[in-house]
Amino acid sequence: MTDTTTARAGAARPRPPRRRTKQLSTSMLPRRSRLSVLVFLVPPLLLYGFAVLLPIGQSLVLSLYKWDGISTMRFVGLDNYVKMLTRDDVFWTAFSNAIGYLVICLVLQLGGALLVAGLLTALPRARELVKTLYLLPAVISTVAIALLFQRIYSLEPLGLLNQLLGWVGLEHLQTAWLSNVSTVLAAVSIPEGWRFTGLYMLIVYAALIAVPHELEEAARLDGASWWQTFWRIRFRYIRPVWITTTVMATTYALRGFDIPYLLTNGGPGQASELLTTYMYKTAFVHTDYGYASAISVFIVVECLVAVGLIFLLLRRGDDK
Amino acid sequence: MTPSRTRRRPAALAALTAVVLALAACSSTAGAKGSPDVAPSGQIVPRQISWLLSRPADGGVITAMEKIADEYAKDHPGFSLNLITTPDRPSYVQKYETLAAANKLPELFDTDATPFAQKLASQGRMVDVGALLDDLGLTSTYRQAALNYQRFPDGSLSMVPFEYSSEYFWYNTALFAQAGVSVPKTLDDMPAMCTALRAKGITPIALDGQDQWPLERYWSYHPFRQAGPDYVHKVATGEAHFSDPAGKAAATWLHDLGQAGCFQDGFSSTGYADAQALFTSGKAAVYNIGTWELANLATDALDSNVRGSVDFFTLPTTDGAVTAPDEFVTTSGIGMAVNAQTYDPLMRDFLAFALTRYPEVYAASGALSPTTTVATTIPGNATPLYQKAVDQAENVGAKIAVPWDTQLDPTTNTRLQQELTLLVQGDITPDAFLTTMDAALAENLGD
Repeated sequence: MTDTTTARAGAARPRPPRRRTKQLSTSMLPRRSRLSVLVFLVPPLLLYGFAVLLPIGQSLVLSLYKWDGISTMRFVGLDNYVKMLTRDDVFWTAFSNAIGYLVICLVLQLGGALLVAGLLTALPRARELVKTLYLLPAVISTVAIALLFQRIYSLEPLGLLNQLLGWVGLEHLQTAWLSNVSTVLAAVSIPEGWRFTGLYMLIVYAALIAVPHELEEAARLDGASWWQTFWRIRFRYIRPVWITTTVMATTYALRGFDIPYLLTNGGPGQASELLTTYMYKTAFVHTDYGYASAISVFIVVECLVAVGLIFLLLRRGDDK
Repeated sequence: MTPSRTRRRPAALAALTAVVLALAACSSTAGAKGSPDVAPSGQIVPRQISWLLSRPADGGVITAMEKIADEYAKDHPGFSLNLITTPDRPSYVQKYETLAAANKLPELFDTDATPFAQKLASQGRMVDVGALLDDLGLTSTYRQAALNYQRFPDGSLSMVPFEYSSEYFWYNTALFAQAGVSVPKTLDDMPAMCTALRAKGITPIALDGQDQWPLERYWSYHPFRQAGPDYVHKVATGEAHFSDPAGKAAATWLHDLGQAGCFQDGFSSTGYADAQALFTSGKAAVYNIGTWELANLATDALDSNVRGSVDFFTLPTTDGAVTAPDEFVTTSGIGMAVNAQTYDPLMRDFLAFALTRYPEVYAASGALSPTTTVATTIPGNATPLYQKAVDQAENVGAKIAVPWDTQLDPTTNTRLQQELTLLVQGDITPDAFLTTMDAALAENLGD
């Protein structure tokens, strides 16, 4: 977590020479301690390399081959990438769906989390109860959530959502939410957004209650409006936490798979197909492991680009 | 050590390991060509054998095979049959293909006659079941339709059938009477039938759209009637196109079915049990399913309000059809393959015992045996429709409508299933559907 005040003060001061910093840090760490640090750091680093970097490297290699799992692997160079980017319309549909899914999830998760956390700080009592209730969906099994929403969205038999629309006289809006190509993407995104709103709410709430009251009171005394207090004091103070939360929510949403897969399996057509569900089908239904690896490499790059953009945008805002 | 070298080393190590693993995977896939001798010599040494299968845990096949394995174990102490079932077919296929890729398939495993299975067979990883049945003297006991369903397009046989079923259109006579419609004589009569039923507020046809294969069956009907059973093989190999007259007629017919509101609203997200419940509760007038559901459709397990109103008709014909009215979808279900790498005297001996004993035990459960040697036992709680359905299944023509999902390459098949839903929902036109499918076929044929 970066404190913006400290960062600015640091930027204003002349920086000490690098060599001096290095000498200081090494002299503060006796030889035996450095060995201890290495002993403790190497196993998790090896585990990380084995569990994360190795599969990525393996995918990268496999993406240059054509392989169905049982025949001899055939080197095809960049053909899988050429196919992905130029000949496969499903890939681009899945990519645009993934972006739509990401936007809906972020609005629900981050917007919802900020709203609920903000309201929670104003709640005089029963905060623990409200927090628990909001957190509950995060601990329910994914399959149960998928089944729940399948019933909620159903048209035949009439599900809860369509019943509610009927009760308030909006029968004309009743539809099969999971079969309608215009509504299905939102319909599969909402359960995912709803599920983790409570989790992010907790994180944002913890950051909000750490904002010093004196700052807000001083701002109010100076005549700051509610919005100015929120935007210039509260939000600015929680910005580092907000960046972390945004990164978490973005990468989770880009890797979202289970609920769309269970609810619609990417359908109808490709209306709710995401890159992840498409990659899964390509590997395990089409047994085209090379092409699936190319898609997985794209997902990794996509996540890295997204995280880079978030840092760039939010840090730039911070500098301003 | 310079910082840049420090950074490069783990990356180089990861890349090297990835290459090694990839090459290892490559080398492990090259299988031996040629099926093993179906009558291997040597001593029978009892042990546990496993069967990876995709059938209901309490279904007739598993119940019968458990009983047979127990009987065999009495004479062969130390023998046991470990049944590992995954009834959900997509999950099963994933498991089976992953095990095949890892070269870890058990002694017995289920598979349809798919292009993937054909590759396994061509690598000599499956026993030649045709030769095995000949050697055991059992070939002539099987229904030809049951064996033909398991054959690859080249005519070779690598799977043993354990079931036999015909697919009918089950319908509610009371709802038909209420809407003033009769059984459709041709496929082209069906949109009008749906319109009449819809006008009375009745769901015309219950469809399990979630599993996708039931809608793909509808796709197969028109081409089967108009162009015969070979059309699907020709499409699968690129000799014919989706946009050929037979495919064009099928696309137009399905589009018409959708426009006439034939299927329940939101069918694409309706599962197997929900679709069946629509029919068995009397809400839907027609339900297309095989005789494997006889226990739910023709016994006292069926809702008493509907029980007396259920009948069935077989696949309607078309004008100028090249297949006979008694030829329609007749399947022998997913077949059982025998792993060539673990085939030994014990496997042969057990299969000889099991395949000889199986028809009698299986038919006693009320199911249709894939052989002609036994009569199906009609359960005590069956309605007269049960016997009628069994009799119809005993008298089918020579040509069978093969499900397309077992013939096409998996990528084209997935695309077909997806586009069919859009076609029936009216989200795309028949022309757009055909263009997309021909493009998908052309892209995937080379693979």
